[in-house]
Amino acid sequence: MNALEVRGLTKDFGSIRALDGLDLDVERGEVFGWLGPNGAGKTTTVRLLLDFIRPTAGTATILGCATSDPRVRGRIGYLPGDLHLDPSYTGDEVFRFYGALRGGVDLARLDELLERFSLDPTRRIGELSTGNRRKVGIVQAFVHRPDLLILDEPTSGLDPLLQHEFNDVVRASVADGATVFLSSHVLPEVEALATRVGILRRGRLVAVVTVESLRRQARQRLSFVLERPPGASPLASIPGVVDSRVADVVVDVVVEGSAAGVVATLAPFGIARVTSRDDDLEDVFLGYYETPEAGA
Amino acid sequence: MIVARRAIEDRRRSLAWWSAGIVGLVGFTVALYPSIKGNANFDRLAKDLPDVVRSAFAFDDAIPITSAPGYLQTRLFGALLPLLLVVFAIGAGARAIAGNEEAGTLELILMHPVSRSRVVVERYVAMVAMVVALGAVAMVAVFVLAPMFGALERVSTGGLVAACAGATLLATFHGSLAFALGAATGRRATAAGGAAAFAVFGYLVHSLGAVSSALEPLRAVSPWHWYLAHNMLAEGPALRAVLPAATVAVAMLILSGPRFARRDLG
Repeated sequence: MNALEVRGLTKDFGSIRALDGLDLDVERGEVFGWLGPNGAGKTTTVRLLLDFIRPTAGTATILGCATSDPRVRGRIGYLPGDLHLDPSYTGDEVFRFYGALRGGVDLARLDELLERFSLDPTRRIGELSTGNRRKVGIVQAFVHRPDLLILDEPTSGLDPLLQHEFNDVVRASVADGATVFLSSHVLPEVEALATRVGILRRGRLVAVVTVESLRRQARQRLSFVLERPPGASPLASIPGVVDSRVADVVVDVVVEGSAAGVVATLAPFGIARVTSRDDDLEDVFLGYYETPEAGA
Repeated sequence: MIVARRAIEDRRRSLAWWSAGIVGLVGFTVALYPSIKGNANFDRLAKDLPDVVRSAFAFDDAIPITSAPGYLQTRLFGALLPLLLVVFAIGAGARAIAGNEEAGTLELILMHPVSRSRVVVERYVAMVAMVVALGAVAMVAVFVLAPMFGALERVSTGGLVAACAGATLLATFHGSLAFALGAATGRRATAAGGAAAFAVFGYLVHSLGAVSSALEPLRAVSPWHWYLAHNMLAEGPALRAVLPAATVAVAMLILSGPRFARRDLG
């Protein structure tokens, strides 16, 4: 039995088709990345899985149960993209009340997570920083050792140290047999954890690929500031380079796959600074995105 | 009933302030009674008022406003006390589903193993419990404070309980309307605005129906008229003041619950 089985799942909002005939299987114990630019239908998928909204057509089952069965949500840990906790609650009140809805809290597990994220549960949500508020959501999503974790942009707003800690907790859950459905619009967040990735665009599943093949094919948009001008474009003949532009000492390049050749070519001119802008999925996955449109 | 209990705990501070306000209103009102008691000028003044005004403030020809039942009915139970309760109930009803949905906190409950129908029922129970609690505060305040100023003379105990129950049910009715509109649409402004508009409509129809034969038939659908048609303080309990409001309130819950269970959350 798969952790997630989705068949022909479709959702219309008025005349807009937010999700179009999605078919998807996520195996148990796998970390599945759900990748797409903003507005692609990622959050719509998540909200359908949690039964916040109802499909126009199609079905989804979680761990063998229909999403419309509230009981299945006892086995799900959900971390929303933006978390609207009541600012007047303390952390303790959050864990006690929402824990009671699941039939009680495992206090040992709660303490372990609180310590891990060094979170003070006696403080009110309204007094917490964005990062600490996020931690409250993370603890609430993991505290009952769920079989399926649905994480929506989980590390946005977390500092790198905390991201690291978060990734460790996810890996530990997976080692215990949990399945993770990780929705994000940035590749690094998904890359760090996922084994397979579904790429979504305008409500349609474009491809399901492994993270390795994604790395091989993904485009990087790099910007170099050199110490000496390299002259007329030295990169045109380098394999993988899709586009390059030179303006005095600044070189902008789009490269598919490895950037090793580009760096080697530019090294003699003295690389003063490198910036990467691979957070724009429309650029990174241009390959995936262009193919289906070309046929349309 | 975890969801209901939490919903009430969320409003505990607000409930305390509303209770204090109601006790203050009751205390202020009954403290003024000795200055009006038996003063024939006030009765003549009241009789000379236009019928619309007399109806709007629940004056009754047979019951002088200088008597305790007449005074309490016009000064407290006829408009101010039910108005306060109605305002609170509409706020609580609109917040219960739609307000929390707009704030995003409803999803936090529904992401747990809790059905939509359970949330509707428990949130409704919480709303009614809070309105009933405020009604009870008003009743206790009258029972305790009024005798100090002789403002319970010739007021029947059953009648006073019924008047408080009537005011509470009037509020519950409008709270239920706000709750149902909110559950059906997910929009707090629609919920509160719709219920408030109906409250104003009902009040105007009840008042103007006293002088306008065109509006008189509409009084039958005014919850204010159900409640105010009789001075229960003087005449004792009347089922008419409680039954229709309670029935329609429950009917609204039954109609809106399934709609909430089916629709998309906003």
